[in-house]
Amino acid sequence: MRLSFYPGCSLEGMANDYARSIDTVFRDLGIDLVEIEDWSCCGATAAHSLSQTMSVVLPARNLAVAEKMGLDIVSPCAMCFNRLRFSQNMIRKKVFDIPWHVTGEIRVHDMTRFMAEPSMIKSIKKRVLKPLNGLRVVCYYGCQMVRPPKITGYTDYENPQTMDRIIATTGAQVIDWSYKSTCCGASIGIARREIQESLTRRILQKAQQAGAEAIVVSCPLCQSNLDIIQKDRSDRRTPIFYFTELLRLSFMESGDPKLFKMHFADPVSLLKAKRLL
Amino acid sequence: MQNIISDLDQAHEHDPGKKRKLIGDRGDFFLNRMQGETGVNISACYQCERCTNACPVSHFMDIKPHQAIRYVQLGWREDLLKSSTIWICLSCEMCTTYCPNEVDVAEIIHHLRNMAVHSPITPKEKNLAVFHQTFLEVLRKYGRINEFRLMNAYYLKPDILHERIKNKTLKEDLLLGMTLLRKGRLKLFTPKSRAIKEIKKAYSQTRGEIV
Repeated sequence: MRLSFYPGCSLEGMANDYARSIDTVFRDLGIDLVEIEDWSCCGATAAHSLSQTMSVVLPARNLAVAEKMGLDIVSPCAMCFNRLRFSQNMIRKKVFDIPWHVTGEIRVHDMTRFMAEPSMIKSIKKRVLKPLNGLRVVCYYGCQMVRPPKITGYTDYENPQTMDRIIATTGAQVIDWSYKSTCCGASIGIARREIQESLTRRILQKAQQAGAEAIVVSCPLCQSNLDIIQKDRSDRRTPIFYFTELLRLSFMESGDPKLFKMHFADPVSLLKAKRLL
Repeated sequence: MQNIISDLDQAHEHDPGKKRKLIGDRGDFFLNRMQGETGVNISACYQCERCTNACPVSHFMDIKPHQAIRYVQLGWREDLLKSSTIWICLSCEMCTTYCPNEVDVAEIIHHLRNMAVHSPITPKEKNLAVFHQTFLEVLRKYGRINEFRLMNAYYLKPDILHERIKNKTLKEDLLLGMTLLRKGRLKLFTPKSRAIKEIKKAYSQTRGEIV
């Protein structure tokens, strides 16, 4: 299977461990990811805030390139996925003039839903070498991947299940909780740190109350928010994994602690205690 | 909140010091304009406050989301553009998702942001506005965002730097930056997008320049 891959800016910087784990996992599953040629930023919240036209035009360029390649897009970043879908919607409505030839007919998948399809779950199951038995996790989806349902296409936006299904396949115990899609504060911490901290702390707290030892995410911004806030708390650290990191771990005979060196809340001791490393 | 009348006896008396706004004296010009530009049926709002209840940051806002919609209906434009509401919004889309009448509240707030930056009004949450601005500047220059470049550009804005030095958070942020570098999470140089020329052109076009 071949798909075009829109990594997004974070995967080159803050989340380059996510990018590496995606590479490994997709290679293991035998899916060919072709990076969109000279892709550019989707504009994220900034474009949407300051210029509505830019928020449609910027993702449209990537859609145009992918259409030329003739491959469906899969996007690992929640924000990029949301923006691409939004732009596609607007293109179909023909509200804005796009400088490139683009029809908006291509399919844009978010990575978790693509991997949670029954056929993919089957091939993940076949590939698991070392089940992550005994690891208790909660899955955190964040906002942009599931909301607004009209754009993202999620029907279970109040209690999304895609990541839960994927992680359950690896053998880890997935705990149900109520804060799956509560906002983590996004980029507001740059100017109003107290707002972001109050939101992020609450999510961490609720995860711990639910009995989770780690949180599984798929959004680079959620990961850095939840992870960096734990930089100076030595007690009760809750590691924040990308879901592909756990997949990669379960695909390997023996894990490597070096793979997790980018984390602030160090997961190595937890994984060693569970004999997964 | 200026419309809440605390003293019931005074409710109908004219207070010359505090001029109360009249409801309905502005017609529906602003409402129609907003509806036209966002494609959202704002008149459908019946003030059930579901948006405000769903909003994770409504307690940090001076005008609550449902009030913001009412303000649009009444045409109280300048209050909205001066408010912190439009900048505090996280675009988490809770309000949009839960509105029973399909009023896209987040989209309206985004549109108000658009209006605010194109007006002479200084945003109440100036730092957030400057951050968005910086994001677009970096995007225009490189086509992709690199966190290192973005944060550098943001901290080097004169107002921001001054404020960070004054409230002593600069050191903390620098230390965090060092840790991120050591952990390999900040990449100093990432390649420009090869399509940078197209992006620059599109950017100028959206700003009304003839290219």
